[in-house]
Amino acid sequence: MVYVGPFETKESCQSWKDEYELPFPVISDEDGAIFKQLSNGWVPYTILVGPDGKVQLWESEFDEAGFAAAVEKLYREPAEAQPEPEPAARLAPQPAGRAGAATIVILGGGAGGLVAAYHLRRRFSGKHRIVLVDRSPDHLFQSSLLWHMVGQRRADQIRRPLSDLTRRGIEFINDEVVEIDLANKLVKTHSEKIDFDYLIVSLGAQLVPETVEGFDEMALNLYDPKGAGMINAALESFSGGRVGVLVTSMPFKCPAAPYEAALLVDSFLRKKGVRNKSEIHVYTPEHQPMPVAGPVMGEAITKVLGKRDIRYHPLFTFEKMQPGTHTIIPSGGEPEKVDLLIAVPPHQAPDVVRSSGLIGASGWIPVDKHTLRTEHEGVYAIGDVNSVRLANGKTLPMAGVFAHYEAKVVAEQIATELQGQRSDAAFSGKGYCWLELGGGKAGFAGGNFYNEPEPSVRLYPPMRFWHWGKVLFEKWWLRHWF
Amino acid sequence: MKVLDESYKGVSEGTLVPLNELGLPAPTTGGLLIVFWKGQ
Repeated sequence: MVYVGPFETKESCQSWKDEYELPFPVISDEDGAIFKQLSNGWVPYTILVGPDGKVQLWESEFDEAGFAAAVEKLYREPAEAQPEPEPAARLAPQPAGRAGAATIVILGGGAGGLVAAYHLRRRFSGKHRIVLVDRSPDHLFQSSLLWHMVGQRRADQIRRPLSDLTRRGIEFINDEVVEIDLANKLVKTHSEKIDFDYLIVSLGAQLVPETVEGFDEMALNLYDPKGAGMINAALESFSGGRVGVLVTSMPFKCPAAPYEAALLVDSFLRKKGVRNKSEIHVYTPEHQPMPVAGPVMGEAITKVLGKRDIRYHPLFTFEKMQPGTHTIIPSGGEPEKVDLLIAVPPHQAPDVVRSSGLIGASGWIPVDKHTLRTEHEGVYAIGDVNSVRLANGKTLPMAGVFAHYEAKVVAEQIATELQGQRSDAAFSGKGYCWLELGGGKAGFAGGNFYNEPEPSVRLYPPMRFWHWGKVLFEKWWLRHWF
Repeated sequence: MKVLDESYKGVSEGTLVPLNELGLPAPTTGGLLIVFWKGQ
């Protein structure tokens, strides 16, 4: 990988390389000769050159889909055909909005909410009101918590203020949603009442560590910025012993994260010189890593864990923690003593969603798997908070990539509908993710989760290429939407 | 994204990139990802 700074001096490129600690070359293209010959005049602009020196892929955007396309090219496999979208429901008369303009309220400023707001704003010149509500003042790039955990990112490097969205013409309300009144098409926060014509619920999963007795005393929360920072402090002072990575219950978001955490801890302890005095154990109720992706994926990850001497405890049905003895206890099993416990807390739909009438039997919001519509007119649910049943009976994993793509589909549908047209935008079920392995390497997995009878997912071999792809994606994400 | 000059033509799939001539490194077995980016 190489970065090229068009019309940038050597000094400015070096300064940028230093600022972001980029380990790959940053080439100064001071007279723009490279840029003029290869680009279309836009930045960022990405070109993938194959081993034969020929262009495999170029794009002005950078996202997981672009990477997947590049992989397919490199491995000389035909791209999977996009499934034919199911016909969208015949439109009811288009919502006119209460004062000639519609109000679209987006709950949650995570991946899904952010992408939906951005794409909706791009479609309108300002006629319609777009309001994003989040109790946090910042957007957090969650997958970088893993790097924060091992000291490779500061907390402030993986956040962006949601108030910056106002520059794009998106209203931001920094408040907690306390009621979703579907009958009156109204959302209430502590301080405001907001009428909506369309509602996009993207509130994610609520972490409830308090439902586990002893969690606060004994465990460090892998999915929380404060917890990730505490894990880093604990690892810095760790001189050897037993590290446990525990998944307390299913479902949980970012299905690869506990495994990535174990692998990153392994790398950290090796670098620190205490790995030979340490054990790393992963405890999970799953029967294999990332079960929805099938047995091949599970075996591949299990093999990676084994190679790094990380002990794997599948079907570990966690019951309780005993801080006094530093043990975790499975249902009907023997206690496991750990010196440092990194844990994924239980997840549930946010309280305000559970009291809204949107929840189905699964405990999450049921939606149409292609349109992301709920059974309530004008109300959509995207990302971790929704529940999509797959052909194999499992549910679509909770992962940012799905929130991202679902958000684009919903934004397209609403925008088209507001123009009085019928939208065929449909979520295809495709998703991709990087698997951080430590030591500057990562794997890459992707495929179609709507494939029948089983999701079709492939894991690509670990390479430095993927790791820096993930770094690049993080940089892109934190700049692109704001 | 920002545009610097829309008159540039860009490349197409299959275009042979004169990497040596442009002072760019040779691709590894996994390929070479070239990213044009502006710091500010």
